[in-house]
Amino acid sequence: MTQVAAPSSLPANMDQLELAFNGIEYKVERRHDAFFVHKRREGASYSDGQQIVLVTGSHTLQVPWLETGQGRTLEQFPFAYIVAEKMWAPVSQTFLMPPDLKEYYSIGAWNGACMDCHVTQGQSRFVQGNTWDSQVAEFGIACEACHSEGAEHIALNRNPIRRFKIHLTTKSDPTMTNPSRLKGPGSGLACGQCHSVWAFNNMTDKIDFNRHGASFRPGQHDLAQRFVVQPSTVDHSDQKDFIRRTEPDFFGNRFWGDGMIRVTGREFNGVQASPCFRGGEFSCISCHEMHLDTPDHADVKTWARTGQLKPKMDSNAACLQCHKDMNARLVAHTHHPADSSGSSCYNCHMPRTTFGLLHAMRSHQVSSPSVKESITYGRPNACNLCHLDQTLAWTAQKLHDWYSQPIPELSPDDQTIAAGIQWIVKGDAGQRVLLAWGLGWEPAQKIAGRDWLYPYLIYSLTDPYAAVRFDAWKSLQTLPGFQNFSFNYTGTDRLLSDAAARAYEKWMHEVRDPNAVYRPETLLDSNGRWQQDIFQRLRTERDDKRIFLAE
Amino acid sequence: MMRSIPRAQTIKKNAHRNLRFGWWSLLVFLSLGGALETLHGFKIGWYVDVGNETRRLMFTLAHAHGTLLALINIAAGLTVRKVDRFELRQSVSFALIWAAILLPAGFFLGGIVIYDGDPGLGVWLVPVGAILLFYSVARIALDLSKIK
Repeated sequence: MTQVAAPSSLPANMDQLELAFNGIEYKVERRHDAFFVHKRREGASYSDGQQIVLVTGSHTLQVPWLETGQGRTLEQFPFAYIVAEKMWAPVSQTFLMPPDLKEYYSIGAWNGACMDCHVTQGQSRFVQGNTWDSQVAEFGIACEACHSEGAEHIALNRNPIRRFKIHLTTKSDPTMTNPSRLKGPGSGLACGQCHSVWAFNNMTDKIDFNRHGASFRPGQHDLAQRFVVQPSTVDHSDQKDFIRRTEPDFFGNRFWGDGMIRVTGREFNGVQASPCFRGGEFSCISCHEMHLDTPDHADVKTWARTGQLKPKMDSNAACLQCHKDMNARLVAHTHHPADSSGSSCYNCHMPRTTFGLLHAMRSHQVSSPSVKESITYGRPNACNLCHLDQTLAWTAQKLHDWYSQPIPELSPDDQTIAAGIQWIVKGDAGQRVLLAWGLGWEPAQKIAGRDWLYPYLIYSLTDPYAAVRFDAWKSLQTLPGFQNFSFNYTGTDRLLSDAAARAYEKWMHEVRDPNAVYRPETLLDSNGRWQQDIFQRLRTERDDKRIFLAE
Repeated sequence: MMRSIPRAQTIKKNAHRNLRFGWWSLLVFLSLGGALETLHGFKIGWYVDVGNETRRLMFTLAHAHGTLLALINIAAGLTVRKVDRFELRQSVSFALIWAAILLPAGFFLGGIVIYDGDPGLGVWLVPVGAILLFYSVARIALDLSKIK
């Protein structure tokens, strides 16, 4: 959400903050309750201050926006505040984007894109050039964003007798949309109006949206001027062809090859493509709640940290709401002990294959794991995201034995090298970042062991993509001996190499268990050293295609 | 054969009723105040959570109105004793007592079950109590005005 910038909404200690990036130095000055950013090229004097007027994000990542003096056009402060780490980082290094892209969102981006969803009923109102006269109904995600227009509701409910009539019956108030009482698309699109990859039906609708804001109202079954873009469905084929022609990377930046969404913040694409959704009952509200009004709800901080889930929805209870019979045959279905992470519905059917805000997140497209998804589309499968030290061939055999899945044709590497290692060493940046996060996932560490993870995470500290380095660092901190390991993931190549060398020495000589046993699939010999010929070959085979995940 | 009660004795009895009720009522509602402070002190979620603001308001109003109406009952009783020839009618005496019961009880019951921003059904006792209070206060004012 976007809020008005104030001491209460901005990160603490912004006064006198000094940062530098891409040849420009920035200094923040506080005047009463307002903050101003002064800039200068190295060696020059500081410019007059530009006031920080808005800030987007609240509990994960915060990006301030500056006035430009050009109407209501805003300019991005080029640094984002990572709340959990209490640190500033260049915005371009808080996304998974090619390292040569220094500025992606700059002047006018908030007006032209961010405000579509980060405020309530925003109107971009393009003027000319890169000038905007943007307006909003309310900052933040306010009541009407999910409950539709409230004027009639407010007017009619001034009458206390009407209110008590509604209180004393189970009927909902027809003057107000309540997504929690709707099912399927009616409910899901209240969230999906923002939490989806969407596009405009045509230029007329785009202009109308720009001038007057969204005409979609929660409760409706389609997005009016817009549509949810699903690459694998037959709807809106003309519009999707137009997108393919004019923005060739659009789908690759957002979807896996089979059409499954791979960026966070667009969960409705996954929900809509799930088999559960076809039943007509399933929606976001099946598992999430927005108002903490269910009995036994979590405290606010836990709720915000755990995806705003309803009580018990972080367990199999979520799926058992519908799949009631599964509880009795859980072990027969999963082939894992009932209380193990292998019997968690989420871990197999909603693995962490989407990425955004610097971490891997669960896919919201309910699916079953397969080796085919990994070898055809590159998406890490759920089995090997836990059994990191096992090969794709091992997984293929298990899925064949247990679920009669055909065994696909596999390469020699797929038969001898752990899938996790292949993805983190020779995968593309999208795969590497999922594994950099995944190697720090406790259930996987318990299953696959921790000893062999160190060298791969240390190696990933020098990855060309900042997001990969960040997640490798955070995962490394989950391992014994490295909890307090300090690392500047935005540093120069030299600093990164030095830090990795320091970490490797620390592991090899201080932390490594001399009695540790390394499976051959991990490519480590009995002394914890890489089988250099294979490791170097995998390095040279790294998929260096440019990856930008447009979360 | 019915025994007639002297008029002065009836008036004294009415005044005594309001005085007695007023002091007991004051004890009850001051105790309620103590109970509410205790809920604050121990940060009981049922009372202090953000979503329970309506309950907090209703209980506070019950405490305030109960205490104030107890004092009004005491004032009415003392007025009879202090002002010569002032007669506290039996209807006024009972109206004051019922007002002192219904008004705070309405607020209190309205706070037990709440509907988001609205109190529970018990709050409908409040206007009934308010009418009785208005009647009794107006009646006392008029009767006092007639005394020369």
